[in-house]
Amino acid sequence: MNGRLRTVAAVGIFLLGSFVASGILEARVQETPQASLKPAAANMPGQEAPAAPRPARERMTVYVLLAWVWLSIAVLIGLLRLRVREADRIFRMGLNRAAEHSPKGPGH
Amino acid sequence: MNVLHAWIEERLGLSAVTLFLEKKEVPRHKHTFLYYTGSSILLFLGIQIVTGVLLAFYYQPTLAGANASVVRIMTEMPLGWLVRSVHSWSSTFMIAIVFVHLLGIAFTKAYRKPREATWITGILLLAASLAFGFTGYLLPWDELSLAATKVGTNLPKALPVIGAWLTQVMRAGEDVTGDTLSRFFIVHVSVLPLAVLAFLGVHLFLVQRHGMSVPLEEERKGIKAPVLPFWPNFAFREAIVWLVLLGLLITIAIVAAPGIGPQADLMAPAPEGIKPEWYFLFMFQMLKLFPARVLGLNGELVAVLIMMAGMAALLLIPFIDNRPAERKGKIITGLAWAGLAYAVGMSIWSLL
Repeated sequence: MNGRLRTVAAVGIFLLGSFVASGILEARVQETPQASLKPAAANMPGQEAPAAPRPARERMTVYVLLAWVWLSIAVLIGLLRLRVREADRIFRMGLNRAAEHSPKGPGH
Repeated sequence: MNVLHAWIEERLGLSAVTLFLEKKEVPRHKHTFLYYTGSSILLFLGIQIVTGVLLAFYYQPTLAGANASVVRIMTEMPLGWLVRSVHSWSSTFMIAIVFVHLLGIAFTKAYRKPREATWITGILLLAASLAFGFTGYLLPWDELSLAATKVGTNLPKALPVIGAWLTQVMRAGEDVTGDTLSRFFIVHVSVLPLAVLAFLGVHLFLVQRHGMSVPLEEERKGIKAPVLPFWPNFAFREAIVWLVLLGLLITIAIVAAPGIGPQADLMAPAPEGIKPEWYFLFMFQMLKLFPARVLGLNGELVAVLIMMAGMAALLLIPFIDNRPAERKGKIITGLAWAGLAYAVGMSIWSLL
């Protein structure tokens, strides 16, 4: 693994790790809805249930989550592009065919 | 790690699969992007299964509980509205990509010999996807979904002999009631997934059996198209497409989450502005515009028969278009373009 790839991988792992950690912390502060035993009311005529959460805090959480999602996707795409280039280079050089015909050791 | 790998290998023999994937080749030409659509459909199907299971934990398919349980999912469950929105949008994404996949195959004539069975299983998968959309539309049990289901289940009634029976089977009775809701729920969560798994298994087997098709125009050049190994070259490219689609799905699901209307009232008159899902709009508009009587026959019956003939032609196209490179093939391509323009035009008209 070259230096650039290692740096991108480290940044990716850090971002994904902090994304998961922030999700766990967020889940801990949320109330469990099962605690309320009252049945939910159906929508009455002329009434529309909100499509997305209205509280500013939850709205903000969702937009932060979206930003993390795109950041993680950008990092993963960066990593994948490196792998694609490497795989294409190996294919152009014919090394994939050479590997197929090489004798395999006892570990394989 | 090596011990674990050896243990798994000894029991499952996965190296045969890896070897197969390494040897699998993907042709490279100007239509290569169409090869990404198949796996993208699988991605959205997977998302729908996961989100569907999560929704089913809280959804109640009863007259009194359906609408209330969806409201509860959207307002009380942590990120429940997002799970529902992702489920709804992923179905839209999936059906849109299914259409792109199908049109790509149709216009590159990839259904030609020996891939007729692959095409037929693909059309069956399209039918199952549309049935998923139709049955899922009723589940929120709001005014609009009830009215649209009444219109949709009324359609087969126009058919002679089996029409009334077919409507009764779909509705679980004479009219749309709570029994229809339970029936649609069972079909949505168990019958259709089983059917999709069966068709998908055969479809994927046939795709692997025959390999990826090269478009007719490329084949006619007489030169072997350059190829790319499936693993890892093509698989990594597919992963990039998946990530972009995933990001788009989550963004749209957050920005344009679907709401839910007032609880359906079986006694209430149909609300104004009934519209089915976008992929049924052209049929809906066609029915709206069709005259009541055509050559002394019931107009609705004629419209339903035309639609059924269109579906049969679509299913049997590999056998109808058996000489794709000749004049007959070109005429069929022209007719397919006209059909597509008609469907798009009708859908747009319905939205105006």
